[in-house]
Amino acid sequence: GILGGDALLPAPQSISILSTNMKHFLTWSPVIVQGATVRYSVEFQGEYEREYANGSWIPISECSLTTATICNLTEDISASVAYKLRVRAELGATRSQWGTTKGFFNRAMTSLTPPQLRAVADGHHLLVELADMGPSFQFRVLYWRKGQESRRYSRQGQECSPPAWHWDVPRVGGRAAHRAQAGCSECLLPAGSLRGFAALSFAG
Amino acid sequence: GACRVSMSMREIRAGFTAIKTNIQSRDPIRTLSILSHPHSLHKVKSSDRCCITYQLFTFYVDKVFKHCRTEDLFVNRKISSIANSFLSTRRKLGQCREHNNCVCGEESTEKFKQILANYEGLNVTSAAMKSLGELDILLDWMEKSR
Repeated sequence: GILGGDALLPAPQSISILSTNMKHFLTWSPVIVQGATVRYSVEFQGEYEREYANGSWIPISECSLTTATICNLTEDISASVAYKLRVRAELGATRSQWGTTKGFFNRAMTSLTPPQLRAVADGHHLLVELADMGPSFQFRVLYWRKGQESRRYSRQGQECSPPAWHWDVPRVGGRAAHRAQAGCSECLLPAGSLRGFAALSFAG
Repeated sequence: GACRVSMSMREIRAGFTAIKTNIQSRDPIRTLSILSHPHSLHKVKSSDRCCITYQLFTFYVDKVFKHCRTEDLFVNRKISSIANSFLSTRRKLGQCREHNNCVCGEESTEKFKQILANYEGLNVTSAAMKSLGELDILLDWMEKSR
């Protein structure tokens, strides 16, 4: 074959997990074999599999024999426990060793970006529109009169189900400014503070 | 005692709903229940809920999930998701149980013994599949008693 004799297929390298706003992806560097299309297969192992199921691994079918070098883990990393991931290269009948993530991944390690915020004046009220970030998220919106940041008002709510969330926020007289913060129940810092901060100055 | 523990009930419920029909189709014995025979979970006193919830989560983690491996990759992934969520939640329940000194009353101890007896009355794979197929009974009871 392309590889010739007993040549081994190298295991994928630079394996890492990118996790933002509770969306988790495994990425790795491509394995290059001249004139051939290398494919990859990904498996995951949760704490349950390590502790109670003899260290078994579970294949992710969407990332089995794929030519991509990225795999969406979000559906499978769905508990707040430590996970391990592994990927191997495949070329015909030849398979590489598994390349495994260093250390463990817990979804509480996800990084949060500021929520997308839009505010619209509606007579005496302001409609604050927050883009949906998924089922695990809660929001906190701070608003105050322009120039009077010390006197801030706050709103916090549970997850939002509609595509965008309309909050009817009473105007504070004159020009108003807003700031929104997103956090999710599974990724709160131990101190319970929320992370991810969006600032929007709105002269309405 | 009371135990307020954050758990991703929605994710567990979604994971179970995705495989419920498949799992229940593997349970030929429709006349028996593991969780509800002879009495429903709803009879458990509120003071005992924390303790029996912890016992039930331990039951599922220790005895049930490991015997539910199937030939279906999708089902296995969802079972893994539920099992890891149960493991994470049981850890929190355990901490709360120690902190609040949740003691199991006589009635709920008896209830849990009955559940184990129902389980051990079947061969392990049938018992595990039936218990997994009854997960919504547990989830409904937990949501009602919140």
